[in-house]
Amino acid sequence: MAFPHRPDAPELPDFSMLKRLARDQLIYLLEQQHEVDKLYKVENKPALSSSEQLCFLVRPRIKNMRYIASLVNADKMAGRTRKYKVIFSPQKFYACEMVLEEEGVYGDVSCDEWAFSLLPLDVDLLSMELPEFFRDYFLEGDQRWINTLAQALHLLSTLYGPFPNCYGIGRCAKMSYELWKRLEEEEDGETKGRRPEIGHIFLLDRDVDFVTALCSQVVYEGLVDDTFRIKCGSVDFGPEVTSSDKSLKVLLNAEDKVFNEIRNEHFSNVFGFLSQKARNLQAQYDRRRGMDIKQMKNFVSQELKGLKQEHRLLSLHIGACESIMKKKTKQDFQELIKTEHALLEGFNIRESTSYIEEHIDRQVSPIESLRLMCLLSITENGLIPKDYRSLKTQYLQSYGPEHLLTFSNLRRAGLLTEQAPGDTLTAVESKVSKLVTDKAAGKITDAFSSLAKRSNFRAISKKLNLIPRVDGEYDLKVPRDMAYVFSGAYVPLSCRIIEQVLERRGWQGLDEVVRLLNCSELAFTDMTKDDKASSESLRLILVVFLGGCTFSEISALRFLGRGYRFIFLTTAVTNSARLMEAMSEVKA
Amino acid sequence: MDCYTANWNPLGDSAFYRKYELYSMDWDLKEELRDCLVAAAPYGGPIALLRNPWRKEKPASARPVLEIYSASGMPLASLLWKSGPVVSLGWSAEEELLCVQEDGVVLVYGLHGDFRRHFSMGNEVLQNRVLDARIFHTEFGSGVAILTGAHRFTLSANVGDLKLRRMPEVPGLQSAPSCWTTVCQDRVAHILLAVGPDLYLLDHAACSAVTPPGLAPGVSSFLQMAVSFTYRHLALFTDTGYIWMGTASLKEKLCEFNCNIRAPPKQMVWFVLDEDSYLVPELDGVRVFSRSTHEFLHEVPVASEEIFKIASMAPGALLLEAQKEYEKESQKADEYLREIQELGQLPQAVQQCIEAAGHEHWPDMQKSLLRAASFGKCFLDRFPPDSFVRMCQDLRVLNAIRDYHIGIPLTYSQYKQLTIQVLLDRLVLRRLYPLAIQICEYLRLPEVQGVSRILAHWACYKVQQKDVSDEDVARAINQKLGDTPGVSYSDIAARAYGCGRTELAIKLLEYEPRSGEQVPLLLKMKRSKLALSKAIESGDTDLVFTVLLHLKNELNRGDFFMTLRNQPMALSLYRQFCKHQELETLKDLYNQDDNHQELGSFHIRASYAAEERIEGRVAALQTAADAFYKAKNEFAAKATEDQMRLLRLQRRLEDELGGQFLDLSLHDTVTTLILSGQNKRAEQLARDFRIPDKRLWWLKLTALADLEDWEELEKFSKSKKSPIGYLPFVEICMKQHNKYEAKKYASRVGPEQKVKALLLVGDVAQAADVAIEHRNETEMSLVLSHCTGATDGATADKIQRARAQAQKK
Repeated sequence: MAFPHRPDAPELPDFSMLKRLARDQLIYLLEQQHEVDKLYKVENKPALSSSEQLCFLVRPRIKNMRYIASLVNADKMAGRTRKYKVIFSPQKFYACEMVLEEEGVYGDVSCDEWAFSLLPLDVDLLSMELPEFFRDYFLEGDQRWINTLAQALHLLSTLYGPFPNCYGIGRCAKMSYELWKRLEEEEDGETKGRRPEIGHIFLLDRDVDFVTALCSQVVYEGLVDDTFRIKCGSVDFGPEVTSSDKSLKVLLNAEDKVFNEIRNEHFSNVFGFLSQKARNLQAQYDRRRGMDIKQMKNFVSQELKGLKQEHRLLSLHIGACESIMKKKTKQDFQELIKTEHALLEGFNIRESTSYIEEHIDRQVSPIESLRLMCLLSITENGLIPKDYRSLKTQYLQSYGPEHLLTFSNLRRAGLLTEQAPGDTLTAVESKVSKLVTDKAAGKITDAFSSLAKRSNFRAISKKLNLIPRVDGEYDLKVPRDMAYVFSGAYVPLSCRIIEQVLERRGWQGLDEVVRLLNCSELAFTDMTKDDKASSESLRLILVVFLGGCTFSEISALRFLGRGYRFIFLTTAVTNSARLMEAMSEVKA
Repeated sequence: MDCYTANWNPLGDSAFYRKYELYSMDWDLKEELRDCLVAAAPYGGPIALLRNPWRKEKPASARPVLEIYSASGMPLASLLWKSGPVVSLGWSAEEELLCVQEDGVVLVYGLHGDFRRHFSMGNEVLQNRVLDARIFHTEFGSGVAILTGAHRFTLSANVGDLKLRRMPEVPGLQSAPSCWTTVCQDRVAHILLAVGPDLYLLDHAACSAVTPPGLAPGVSSFLQMAVSFTYRHLALFTDTGYIWMGTASLKEKLCEFNCNIRAPPKQMVWFVLDEDSYLVPELDGVRVFSRSTHEFLHEVPVASEEIFKIASMAPGALLLEAQKEYEKESQKADEYLREIQELGQLPQAVQQCIEAAGHEHWPDMQKSLLRAASFGKCFLDRFPPDSFVRMCQDLRVLNAIRDYHIGIPLTYSQYKQLTIQVLLDRLVLRRLYPLAIQICEYLRLPEVQGVSRILAHWACYKVQQKDVSDEDVARAINQKLGDTPGVSYSDIAARAYGCGRTELAIKLLEYEPRSGEQVPLLLKMKRSKLALSKAIESGDTDLVFTVLLHLKNELNRGDFFMTLRNQPMALSLYRQFCKHQELETLKDLYNQDDNHQELGSFHIRASYAAEERIEGRVAALQTAADAFYKAKNEFAAKATEDQMRLLRLQRRLEDELGGQFLDLSLHDTVTTLILSGQNKRAEQLARDFRIPDKRLWWLKLTALADLEDWEELEKFSKSKKSPIGYLPFVEICMKQHNKYEAKKYASRVGPEQKVKALLLVGDVAQAADVAIEHRNETEMSLVLSHCTGATDGATADKIQRARAQAQKK
């Protein structure tokens, strides 16, 4: 189902401009300046190229710098002189230059920047392709990407006009927003007087809603991502999907007509849809039986190509579905989903806990086990001490002791915590802070920070009505609400917040929710009266996910519609496995 | 007005020259101009006089005085010359005074006599002395050329970006050339010099002899030469009183002239003139000043000539006449107007009047021409108004700056060449801030380029007033500037710091809204900690990092860490860096914070990332465990100790059994043992590490099924009552596709899971029986969903019947 947009739904802005900008700049950097003839992937091994100059196009990561430095030094040892050029994307960090300097090669390389921060993955989806954003910010507390983000928002407002209505929630959202506004002030005049093309912008931190990101996805695009991993808008379908001996790289976006119709569908409908589609296709092929020569000629020249293309896509997606079915429709998956729903709704906690324990004992999958533990922790405001200990012990026994660090990470990020004995601690905290100096209080607050991040999922869920009351079967073919993306069991919290704020044009009446989200100081609204904004633009909303968003959330908001149309900007498309991997310590 | 053309002199057939007074000078000179070194800047610039230069006849008894006047003779500066003998004075394009000393040092002064800097024209000059020097202007800026005592030339094309170029030797040059000058061709500065009857052109590579085409014979030496303002033309004055004029490229002769004066004139600038005056070449004429007056001599521009030439019938002339008649209320006005209109020349007439107004010096004349233009415009439908409006504006600006008190006698053409931006700069240089601001406001220049820029300059001047307190200066500046866009407080602060007023600089920085801009200066002023908090405020991590490294070098380690401790954002940034680049520092950081939890994690990571040997790894783990105890994290400490035990054990297993055990998880270690038939050891390990029963059963079940050791599995299943039930046995057997074994266990599955087990082994019929027996609705539908097609049709019916029965009850 391509959601039937209302006939008056606004047109999407043209994002191909971003691609053109980036492409032109890169071509300029590569050709004009360095005459590049061949590209290699940066891997940790010696460069085999014999050319006189090497050009590196890299993310500004210290690891990459060390690799480049080792390469340059190896050349030096071999008495070889070459020119080295490093192009950083999206920007250069001072720390990177420092590393080059410390490794003694700063003088040998020259640096450039390729300010490519927004990749349009689809007509309504921009990605910064910065998966490390999540770990850097939410775990390490590193704010380096906030500037990049502010720059990206600034670029958007120079291209598509100012945003008359801004909303946001979360610390990172607030910082990015403030930095962005400062940029606009410094360079004012650029966006002034422009007609806004996008009426609203909503910034949301990933840690406001971890739950949604941790759930198994059951909407087609999300399932494909969970199963095959979509990278930069394309997916590698292996032999089991292509039913040949080759893998095939397939672009997944609105251009793919078949995909576009099923991407937002609950998986249970997809198969039926595809077989219907196959029958239709067959019928169209069959038409040629009764044709005379002229009609046949017409058919071959005009329709056949399209049909063949559709045929190809159809068989690919049917293959993908079969492969997913094989993996998912075993009893395990049903049980898994059942457990997830139980966790979301908050019943049979004991049973769920033993399910998770069994999951670990059987070594089903380290990432999956971890995900379930986190889901349990967040929905239950932390694990009770006994379970916290035993689950961790079991986990270490199953998957290796290095995960002790993983648990420490998860605790810091507030994903997997131990229940505190009641609210007494917070009381203590406030009392103590009155007695001691600010500095000491700061330390104490730090110590309590994992407690402060405690989720209040259950209460929020009640306030926002996240678990729909179902009378009888939830009809997944004709969804009533956004809960359909989780089989009707749960409305994504992130999407519900966005819906509510848009409806109320701000945070009025949501004070309690905001407090429960521990974001009392971090929810903001900024509306400027702009008479130039057309009613069409006022129905376009740019949602910015800081730390990543899932395809389920995208589908849910695409469904929400209501005359609005959503555009998405995310630091990277994510899913539960990616989140968990970002938090995991793995042996190098 | 009748004698308007009285000061016009014809030159040849086609051109007129006129001379008019700019100012009468009341600068009250004590000496004759000829006794001074004089330099006047082009574009109506200031005049510098160095009295009492070092002349042979006058021993240097009294120190000479350097005086600077505006073009109208208003004193700007006067200072005692305390340095060495000066050979030449000149003004740079930025209106800085360059004083070339005999020893090759060039001193640079500002317009107000403030010393700016100095530079040298090379070491070689020190011994040989400077004989002569020229300051010249090119499109790159202002240059200096010197002739040394060794008769060599050195030049620098741009004193702002000093690069000395020593010119090649001139062959056979024994004495100073009779005359020389700099010419600029193809963007490169050359030197043209005359030695006897020969001319040489020096570029930085070679010296080549040149001959002007069509030079009259009999010339035995050149006495003077002059290049035009634009370097396009050249004039040569010979000892026969003959003047050759041509293009500066010496390719074409324009004219020649014999003036029969044999004595060389002191100056020749494309204009030859009389007595004790000084000539300043300009773009479109020559300024001539003497003790008493300052005059301007130039070719009458075409528009003016057309209008004012006696009996001119040019449209502009007629229009001017018509307007005059109109004012007299005479009908002749109409006649003149008709005449122009009949020829269809009214637009040209208006244009001519506007243009001519621009070239007039006297406001009355400007007004009358503009009035005529405006009168003419009334009879035109579509005459674009901007040229008229712009001219009115330009003239207002020009009249304002030509005022005696300001003293910048720019002509219209010079003004256009100079541009308004440069003019504003020059007003700022003369500290005429109010006038500059008025001009900006009058011309409605954008704030950033106009008013704010000037205010910023004013503020920079203000901070240099040392007699005013820091408080007052800062307040005064903030009051004037407020939040004017485009004003950079950090620039002003930098200036204050440059004058040694650090406190003032910090106060000024407080007004800077962009915290990022404050940082570099704060660092420079060694206020690193303040810089750090400003950098953090800016949200720019790069900036924070810059400050951090500054701090790291500036403070000792302890202080550095203490500073970090109070800045979590900076701390996490630095930690990230250390994680990759300076592991030891990271450890120190945790140590100093007593962050035992992170220290523990650090050592754990080291135990598998940094250490190779097993002893080292165990030691690292021991340190980690200790840290965890200190952090009161008993769980982690215990887990770490377990890991130490496991490592040692794995090592022993490898030694005794061979194979790979190290770094396996506990679970995998036990599995590996079972798979290699070491059941006893496996049991022992499970006991030692207190592996829970449930896990052990799962583990054994999976491992034995993997081995397909069905016999052992069966034995195991009967060893005691299974803590995980028997359904997993069925599952695992089915996974290995052994239905036979699976069925064995299916019978032992407890009643709650019986249906599932039967379904797993594919016994739908029996599953149905059990479900019906249980009268369990969900079980029944589960079985139903497993009923496929025809084979299970009977079973499906059975269930449906049972359901119906159940509902009846």
